[in-house]
Amino acid sequence: MKEFLLNIDRRIIFIFVALGIIIPALGSFNLPIKPTKNVRSIYDTIEEVAAKNGTILISFDYGPGSFPEVQPMALAVLRHCFKRNVKVVGMCLWPDAVGLAQQAFDTTSKELGAEYGSNYVFLGFKTGFHSLVINMGRDFHGTFPQDLHGNNTTELPVTQNIKGLADFDYVICLAAGNSPDDIWIPYGQERYKFKFGLGCTAVMAPDQFPYLQSGQMNGMMGGLAGAAEYETLVQVPGTATEGMRPQSVVHLIIIAFIILGNVMYFLYGRQKGGVQ
Amino acid sequence: MLFLRRTLPLIIAFVMGMIGILVYYSPHSGAQALEQEVTMWNRIVFAFALVLGIYSLMRLHWGRVQRQQAGWAYSFLVFVGFVVMLIFAIYNNGQGPLKPQVIDSGPFVWMFDYVQVPADATMFSILAFFIASAAYRTFRARTPEAAILLVSAIIVMIGRVPIGGLISDSVPAFSQWLMAVPNLAATRGILLGVSLAAIATSLRIIFGIERSYLGGGEE
Repeated sequence: MKEFLLNIDRRIIFIFVALGIIIPALGSFNLPIKPTKNVRSIYDTIEEVAAKNGTILISFDYGPGSFPEVQPMALAVLRHCFKRNVKVVGMCLWPDAVGLAQQAFDTTSKELGAEYGSNYVFLGFKTGFHSLVINMGRDFHGTFPQDLHGNNTTELPVTQNIKGLADFDYVICLAAGNSPDDIWIPYGQERYKFKFGLGCTAVMAPDQFPYLQSGQMNGMMGGLAGAAEYETLVQVPGTATEGMRPQSVVHLIIIAFIILGNVMYFLYGRQKGGVQ
Repeated sequence: MLFLRRTLPLIIAFVMGMIGILVYYSPHSGAQALEQEVTMWNRIVFAFALVLGIYSLMRLHWGRVQRQQAGWAYSFLVFVGFVVMLIFAIYNNGQGPLKPQVIDSGPFVWMFDYVQVPADATMFSILAFFIASAAYRTFRARTPEAAILLVSAIIVMIGRVPIGGLISDSVPAFSQWLMAVPNLAATRGILLGVSLAAIATSLRIIFGIERSYLGGGEE
């Protein structure tokens, strides 16, 4: 028994994790989700933009791998914008984000009756990363003369008055890589001084705190928990809110295994020179 | 030949690097226009780099298929995936390659939505299982520093999920403090170090001291 607990087979841990996901996912109990200051800040900024009938830019910078974590943020933010008549311009710095962004626009525009061209515009993907952001900052129409469907951006009601990035009332980056801290902040926010918010994967979140404190970023949704907080604010529970049940249970399972591993290590493992 | 392989790239790196630095600090309209032009060229170079990337990927996997290396069948699948998606992209849901890509219906979208998205998301989710197993095996309080890290990690793990709030309001608050104060301080320190190193490396490249990017190593 001692040997077993000192070196639990990984397949047993996998079974616990699987059950920790499946059982709560099938259940219907709800856990209270309290929005944090950083998430509420994004919500409040969109409310301010709504009050002046403004326009926001959403950069979809993630791929299918982070779909379960970041897509709920995209859906929640778009629902909020369309509900409050905030005009949205979408773009992608990642080529594989185009299909995901389109899905998000399709779902939310059908739900809330948002119309293409007058409520939202999707520009799609262009190469260039930081160069693209610099170009957009100075000459939006020159950088994106047409949207993804071939319409002229100078003629679409949402984009016709946008000359550069500073004309957007808010820019939100939904990211799974280095686009906020390596591209949007140094080449976009720092130069053109627009308000900037971020939705990112949980692993990225700790690295973004310096930008929050410096004010270069005014809010952040981190991981599935951040998405669930935003869903709570817009009062449309989605997959992130549902995901909080399995995520909570799996976190507890991992903590239980860490504690078990340490107890066994201090009781027996140190004598053996550690656990394999 | 040496001029084309060595001297010309060094001159280009120096000129473009100096332009990048100088126009950043100059509000003059000429400098701004120059930067706009140069960054546009840069985007064109990026687009060609994508083509080069595809060529490089195909060449690598073609070599594996030819040599029938271990796992060559996976390399063959790269070609199947690439060719199928390329055909669907050219077909463009019946619109042809010269029209804007149809991204709300058609076989390309179907393959993306029902093959790539679930497959990619599944690969990423498998991480949860490995993290659980790795945490049990390696997260040990062997030293006081490791013990502090361990306790902090447990607090953040509980504080970032709603169960933390159910235990006590202090758990998410403390978790947030850990992220916003000690984590921030450490991250900023690392960031400053990395940034200074990046500046030093950039200057070495601009002034031709660092030449490993040319492919031949330092002389």
